[in-house]
Amino acid sequence: MKTQLPEHGPVEAPRFWRTLEERVETLEARQAAHDEFLPGAIPGPGYDDVHGLPVQSGVSRRDFFGLVGAAAAVAATVACDRKGQGTVVPYTKRPVEVVPGVANYYASAFQEGRRIYPVLVKTREGRPIHLSGNDEHPGVKGKTSPRAMADVLRLYDPDRLRAPKAEGRTIGWVEAESRLHAALKDAKATGKPVLLISGALVSPTRKALLADLKAALPTLEHLAYEPALGDAGEEAAKASFGEAVDLQPRLAKAKVILSLGADFLNGEDPEALGAWGAKRRLKDAHDPINRLWVLEGPLTLTGTNADVRIPIAPSRLGAMAFALAKGLAAKGVVLPAGADLAGISAGAPAEIPAKTWSALLNDLRQAGRQAVVLCGAQMPVEVHQAAHLLNAMLNSEAVAMLPAEPLATVKDLAAAVQGMAAGRYAAAIFWDVNPAFTFPMAAAWKTALPKVPLRAWIGLMEDETSAQCQLLLPESHWLESWGDFSTPSAAVLQQPTLGTLYDTRQGEDILLGALKALGAAAPGSYHAFLQARWQKEVLTGASFEQALHDGLLKVEPKSVAPVFRGASAAAAAKRAAESNTEGLELVLFPGFATHDGRHANNSWLQETPDPITKMTWDNPVSVSVQDAKALGLQEGDLVTLSLDNVTLRLPAVIQPGQAQGVLALALGYGRSTGGVAKGVGANAYPLMGVDPAAANVRRGVRLAKAGGTKELARTQSHHRMEGRDIVRSLTMAEYAHDPQGHRHTPEIVSLYEEQRFPDHKWGMVIDLAACVGCSACMVACQSENNVPVVGPEQVARGREMHWIRIDRYYEGELENPRVVHQPMLCQHCDSAPCENVCPVNATTHSSEGLNQMTYNRCVGTRYCGNNCPYKVRRFNFLEYTAYKTEPETLAYNPEVTVRPRGVMEKCSFCVQRINDGKVRAKGEGRAILDGEVTTACMAGCPSDAIVFGDLKDPKSKVAQLVNASRAYRVLEELGVKPAITYLADLKNPAVVGGSHAV
Amino acid sequence: MADANRQPLLDRAAALVAGPFLLGQRALSLAFLPDKPSPPEPSPDATPRIPITPPEHAIKRRG
Repeated sequence: MKTQLPEHGPVEAPRFWRTLEERVETLEARQAAHDEFLPGAIPGPGYDDVHGLPVQSGVSRRDFFGLVGAAAAVAATVACDRKGQGTVVPYTKRPVEVVPGVANYYASAFQEGRRIYPVLVKTREGRPIHLSGNDEHPGVKGKTSPRAMADVLRLYDPDRLRAPKAEGRTIGWVEAESRLHAALKDAKATGKPVLLISGALVSPTRKALLADLKAALPTLEHLAYEPALGDAGEEAAKASFGEAVDLQPRLAKAKVILSLGADFLNGEDPEALGAWGAKRRLKDAHDPINRLWVLEGPLTLTGTNADVRIPIAPSRLGAMAFALAKGLAAKGVVLPAGADLAGISAGAPAEIPAKTWSALLNDLRQAGRQAVVLCGAQMPVEVHQAAHLLNAMLNSEAVAMLPAEPLATVKDLAAAVQGMAAGRYAAAIFWDVNPAFTFPMAAAWKTALPKVPLRAWIGLMEDETSAQCQLLLPESHWLESWGDFSTPSAAVLQQPTLGTLYDTRQGEDILLGALKALGAAAPGSYHAFLQARWQKEVLTGASFEQALHDGLLKVEPKSVAPVFRGASAAAAAKRAAESNTEGLELVLFPGFATHDGRHANNSWLQETPDPITKMTWDNPVSVSVQDAKALGLQEGDLVTLSLDNVTLRLPAVIQPGQAQGVLALALGYGRSTGGVAKGVGANAYPLMGVDPAAANVRRGVRLAKAGGTKELARTQSHHRMEGRDIVRSLTMAEYAHDPQGHRHTPEIVSLYEEQRFPDHKWGMVIDLAACVGCSACMVACQSENNVPVVGPEQVARGREMHWIRIDRYYEGELENPRVVHQPMLCQHCDSAPCENVCPVNATTHSSEGLNQMTYNRCVGTRYCGNNCPYKVRRFNFLEYTAYKTEPETLAYNPEVTVRPRGVMEKCSFCVQRINDGKVRAKGEGRAILDGEVTTACMAGCPSDAIVFGDLKDPKSKVAQLVNASRAYRVLEELGVKPAITYLADLKNPAVVGGSHAV
Repeated sequence: MADANRQPLLDRAAALVAGPFLLGQRALSLAFLPDKPSPPEPSPDATPRIPITPPEHAIKRRG
């Protein structure tokens, strides 16, 4: 749909809106709202009912079925043959751990960058099928991230390398190892350096192994490279503290949070999200609540949850943060010794009203130690340093400074590339990294690498780097591997949850083999190496088996408070004051789905809509409303983005709330390998800078229309509900004034008899104030319920299959709207409109209040989907599952039917989990306990915004929450009696002179 | 929609009769080729299964 931005908005704009079309009320938007479904998702004039394409053949649906019916009758007479029979056999040798039909759970851990996710892995008949957070871990408390949950799919990726390869041919491990060992021995003998590039080093045992390897091979040069973590933070830590520091927010202690482009609510940090949710799930207006100030360029998930948000270009953030420090100093907060802010202008910056600025300063000063300033990883170095200065001034207790192993920056990698080009290295080993894709100067890389005599690659799936290596060593997935990690409150163990699927080895075992080949004494396996180190250094009397059972060993958090170097602020302040702020500014950030590109082959993540743009399967450049107007851009227009002789051609999306002069583009797309990833989006790494101080924020970008448009697979405009009263958002002042003021309960007269629920009545409460919109629930649901992936073309037609979606509503002006996220799923209405219209009784109501689907009754009339006011029913227009084979089918949850083409499906309130809870309770001769049955979305929600339980149990949490003052039901006036209650969103803006600060 | 796209009666009748006839003929010719033997039955283990083995030394939480 095309949207021409208006010179002036409509006279009466809707309060909440989801898309630009709705905001400016175009004719198309009205028509789309009227039509209810996208063209192609339903039969309509000029569209083929089956494929959603314009009718081309001239044959009508009725003729088509006539033809097919008659042909089938004839064909059936000659096709009565038996073929493709499967054989069902019992275990002939049943593994002792496996009881068919009963799930096993293992504790393990997943690493992404410097972040560790302790997880609980559910396995069925030996297959890991679902991940959730480890509830024993004191930090994450049973929560994890969307990408961690989705990584179980990578275990079963058909693109995984299954055996070692040399020069393109499959070889055995003996040959592969002998080649690697010969090269390393040769390097040792000649004294030539060997380059090893890996990801971040968070594992103490891996670190010990690398130290042993370094002792055996002194010429080993190791770089730990994480392209998505942002080099500027690393540079700033070195400047401010003299060492690498992993900075982790402790939001439980924060009353006031100032984000300088920091997206700490983006789903990556379950600990931060848990603390955030706890501060926002208010029972009444007197409960303490925090306040979130956000200064940022692109709109982030954190920005959408802000109480006060101010769009500012990242290049201006440094000067503003130092001006804040100066303002605080003027109010009596002590500046660290040596912090010279001479070049910084005091007072409110031009972009921020003086009253708002003053309110921010007062908030920070009054909160004192309970205030924290967080800086986005991608922001320039001076912004990080200003945040360190502010936290030091406030002596903030809401941020933990943890010692960390240093990361290599893009500058270090550039030096290594120069070394390769000069023929310095005898061998190079790339372990779980893809620098051929992520290094900005791809041409230099391509020329330099072939000059290394032996290039070995250790990884899961062949990628851009492996294409340039001779020796490919297939690595086991982390669910097949051993490992350990250090987290602030626990030493975490990673254990395999199944034997290796293919002829693979974990990277550590490959290096251990090299260590032995170099003459060092080493145990036979990394498992033994790990166990020996734990016995010696970690366990101190505790049992290794118990640690494996728990997945961790709790340790006292080490309080390391690196000393802030006041003198470092002067140079940073000077840099901030001199920052060039002219022209367009491009912010490059890790993709929600792809991170740095490592998840690009994961179709669950590719199809999960980006929480901000709601884009799937692509990384368009986000343009501010003002810049789009100036350039005459419309949504989906193809543009060229140019910088330093690099030009990308990609579609544009217009992003409300994005600062003027700022462009935003996600990294990790545009891969050239992978069955899923290849060709999806554009590779933005060539636009990254080689100056670590500002590698992710680039100035001087040129944006121009390229001509043509691209159809965007964007879900934001799907399943709209015509501007009815769906989301409710209150300010704290409104909530305190009249907690129930938002309520307007309609009088409902029903023709139907009141239903009775003899045992249980399942219900759910969703707190919009705690929901940050991170989409973890969507991924959890997809994994639990075998939700199919349909691909970008089908998504563009409104045929995505997610059982739960996150609707993102804007409120207010285009340039800086407030945002409310609303998870929307089947409401399990007691008077469900879908049930009445099903001609074959395929959707019915259970005696426990569940709106249930009987798939083998469904004939696909789609009357139910048409009659659902919440637009939560999903139809299998095409065959999305039947042609899948192993290994993909191994990821299926055997407790949930895999739906074929022509069948309607929707949220079941995870009925299989309810039944599992009931069976367990019955076996133990007791009633189901409150909290015992959790839906996948509830278990996956890191901010505990979703509560599920039995409404008939008056003591249950859910039964108590449905009567809360913020409670309401969506479209209650229809009288459908939904089983889901929402709690109105809350915002806590600063009040300045009687009005809210903006 | 069906009304809007309805073809002239003769066309529809021809399509309804000729379609199944031609398809049936094609199906029959495939099934009863005079000179070619029928394809061999796929052996039960034609599609190699990926072996699932339990993890060594791991300790499960519950199950």
